[in-house]
Amino acid sequence: MARELRKAARDSGEDVAAHHGLVRMIPQWERGNRAPRERYRLLYLKVFADALGSLPHGMDTVDFALRLAEVRSRAASLPGPGQIRAIEAAARAKPGQTMTPAEIRALAAEAIAHLHEVAGKLAELSALLGDDEVGGGKP
Amino acid sequence: MSARDDKIRQVVAELDAHVAEVEASVAALKALLASDEVPEEQEDPS
Repeated sequence: MARELRKAARDSGEDVAAHHGLVRMIPQWERGNRAPRERYRLLYLKVFADALGSLPHGMDTVDFALRLAEVRSRAASLPGPGQIRAIEAAARAKPGQTMTPAEIRALAAEAIAHLHEVAGKLAELSALLGDDEVGGGKP
Repeated sequence: MSARDDKIRQVVAELDAHVAEVEASVAALKALLASDEVPEEQEDPS
């Protein structure tokens, strides 16, 4: 993503932070720890709009690029399987639960199964969009 | 709209659905951890 942002900036004749700075900031943006400044938001839009550049004019490319960025960002913010298992273990260990341990285990297993689906869909999407990296996915 | 565009839309919709499932399950698990703040019986006795 840092390379894509840098390329989009270069194409627009803009300066961006040094590569290592972008590499440090991007995960913070994607996790929602920090909001990107407007010019970086615009560069993100340009990156995704360019990736979808071959879409027909009838398609609302900017809206779709925003949706794509939002879904990818949410995917990147998901906890990993280890974190889900840790939450599950803590929930099972807690007395007086409204769910049985088996139900809690099943809930965590369902979350992890969907997490694997998320990773697969991110890879599929990256292949379709011609990304050079598996975009912002877990885990 | 080309087959590729359709496929991209389909994959994004499926990705969105799976992300939402994980978010919902994780929220439910986290709610269990926080559940001691909620009294066991909240129903209106009337």
